[in-house]
Amino acid sequence: MNAPNDVRRMLVESAARLFADHVDAKLLDAAKREGLPTALWQALEAAELPLVGVPAQAGGASGTLSDAAAVLRLAGRFAAPAPLAETGMLAGWLLASVGLAVPRGPLAAGPQGRAESLTLARAPGGWRLSGRVRRMPWARFARRLVVIAGDGADEFVASVAPQQARITPGWNLAREPRDDVVFDAVPLAEAEVAPAAAGVSRAALRLRGALSRALMMAGALERALELAVEYARQRVQFGRKIGQFQAIQQELARFGGETAAAVAAALSAAGALERGGDATLAVASAKIRTAEAAREGALIAHQVHGAIGVTDEYALHHYTLRLWAWREEYGNESEWAIELGREIQGRGADALWPALTND
Amino acid sequence: MFRDVDFSDLSLPPPALALREEVRAFLRSEREAGSFTPRLGHSEFDAAFTRKVAARGWIGMTWPRRYGGQERSCLERFVVTEEMLAAAAPCAAHWVADRQTGPSLLRYGTEQQKQRFLPAIARGECYFALGMSEPDAGSDLASVRTRAERAPGGWRVTGQKVWTSWAHKAHAFFVLCRTSPDAGDRHEGLSQLIVMLDSPGVTVRPIRFMNGRHHFNEVFLDEVFVPDGMVLGEIGQGWKQVTSELALERSGPERFMTTFPLLVELIRRLGAARDARAQEMVGRLTARFWALRRMSLAIALALDPGPGGWHSAADAAVDLGTEAALVKDMGTFYEREIIDAARLVVATEPDPEAAETFERFLADTIVCAPVSTIRGGTTQVLRTLIARGLLGRM
Repeated sequence: MNAPNDVRRMLVESAARLFADHVDAKLLDAAKREGLPTALWQALEAAELPLVGVPAQAGGASGTLSDAAAVLRLAGRFAAPAPLAETGMLAGWLLASVGLAVPRGPLAAGPQGRAESLTLARAPGGWRLSGRVRRMPWARFARRLVVIAGDGADEFVASVAPQQARITPGWNLAREPRDDVVFDAVPLAEAEVAPAAAGVSRAALRLRGALSRALMMAGALERALELAVEYARQRVQFGRKIGQFQAIQQELARFGGETAAAVAAALSAAGALERGGDATLAVASAKIRTAEAAREGALIAHQVHGAIGVTDEYALHHYTLRLWAWREEYGNESEWAIELGREIQGRGADALWPALTND
Repeated sequence: MFRDVDFSDLSLPPPALALREEVRAFLRSEREAGSFTPRLGHSEFDAAFTRKVAARGWIGMTWPRRYGGQERSCLERFVVTEEMLAAAAPCAAHWVADRQTGPSLLRYGTEQQKQRFLPAIARGECYFALGMSEPDAGSDLASVRTRAERAPGGWRVTGQKVWTSWAHKAHAFFVLCRTSPDAGDRHEGLSQLIVMLDSPGVTVRPIRFMNGRHHFNEVFLDEVFVPDGMVLGEIGQGWKQVTSELALERSGPERFMTTFPLLVELIRRLGAARDARAQEMVGRLTARFWALRRMSLAIALALDPGPGGWHSAADAAVDLGTEAALVKDMGTFYEREIIDAARLVVATEPDPEAAETFERFLADTIVCAPVSTIRGGTTQVLRTLIARGLLGRM
């Protein structure tokens, strides 16, 4: 769409208000110890934010993928410690696509890496699921673990009760839960497994995961830029505000450019996926570009702040630690660039321009 | 953070998609007929090609019909511009007028000026150059010394302009000059005059580029008479007018696509080679291009005055100065990244006379690369502008 419509504007305004009311320094601090703050999740769920983008008939909150994208950008901007991407854009999408029930509560999705695979085997009255998912985001808090598994021929979506898995807690750089999950011949009922529908695959899940991280990084960059600008407007050294020094201005200008590129790339990739067709180029580009911006932006944010920026009492680290964590999740910029480059090279030189202008 | 453009997703309307196919077909047949040879570096001045583009209605295409325009959208103009750049087509004859002169005339020009110049530009018969820089006024544009003094029925202009691309082939240029002495605020007392390049008192001398080619000039103005009817906009408002013109100069695909055909040739040269380093470079360059283009499209849309709404276009351009500067700053660095990737992945020597397109493109882009981060605002000036947009008044 050419302009965010009124519905999306209202969604963004109410979501921003909710995040601003709930996600403060105290909550972010508590999240480092507890993982998922219960009160935050309840507020998000009461506002129906986790399932934005999941069709209402599947139990979602309706809305478009671009609506979900707007919420994830905000979640990144506020460093909201909750499985918003996992519940809606990833697990919710998987369940809704194959006609399995979308329950209320936080959801986790996997596997996110290319190296891991889960296997399903037929068993009397159902299935058995085996395998291991490393660093599964928010697994220990999930109501269901939603995974893609294969039986040797086809891929399936399985919805697993977390009690049936062996979950070893782990954390990412920003102390967000990233857990090791082992499925040891977990018995599943027929109603918990469905064949992967058209467009549902591990590659598609990885693509959506990459998009979610691109959107969250775009938001975190916006907040880190705001903090750096605000700091440069106030901090006085050599008798002047440091924002008056051209050396600082040049860095902030670069940061502004990186942030604008990240926002444009992430939102456009969501639009490309929403419009249908092959969105691989768009999403890969968004993940590459936001990860590059995360590198540059986080470094400039810290450089402008000086020593105060690296402390745990000052807010900047909530955003920079997440940027450094999220840029690796669902494939870093080098992995995606090699994949994209191979694809572009394979299609041939004269296919590049049509691919780039496939609006 | 960026108030005027939210960089949201946008999709091109169906007429723009259909137009793209038309432009591609036109360029394909022109190339096959040998009407132009793709060249990188500085765009070629080719009046015959410009007239063919004009015949299709692709010059001044967003302008009102009564001035020779087609009243099409800015996104459609964006499509035409990027297709020309992707094909390395020779557009130097009409680009300044299509991008800057026309919109300025629509916003500030008199009815007589619009009637005189716009239809001729749209027909591909009238070409404009830029008259901003001077020997002592480069980045510091407000320090121009060219001055105009009152004369019966008009003004007499004396001074010197420099780096005036294609002044030896263009018909006219907008001269930024001082019409009243600097009385404290340097941005006051500046005006823009439309000067015909064949006027008595105008002398154009070539400045050769370092590869021996000629597009730059210095233009001397010795008591050149400019009638009152050739004042652009208001006397004393030159600074504001020039600023809005610069936003148009900085935000389009011209600022990140001038080396793009080299990326295409790089992929052609790589062929089926399986080299992870090359693949990663191609992937990163593709991603960066894609992001820049989405930013530039968002700005083009924000600048779109809509059908018949041209009165606000230049005002909008003033407000988008920060965003336009972002595109130019990142775009011009991106253009160099393509050059470096191409030369590092394919070990070869650049050669402007080579039979192979890759070596020729490489040579032309390397030699012209320093210009892109200077013209239309240096990197350093742009970043100061962007920082001011971010920091506000301190």
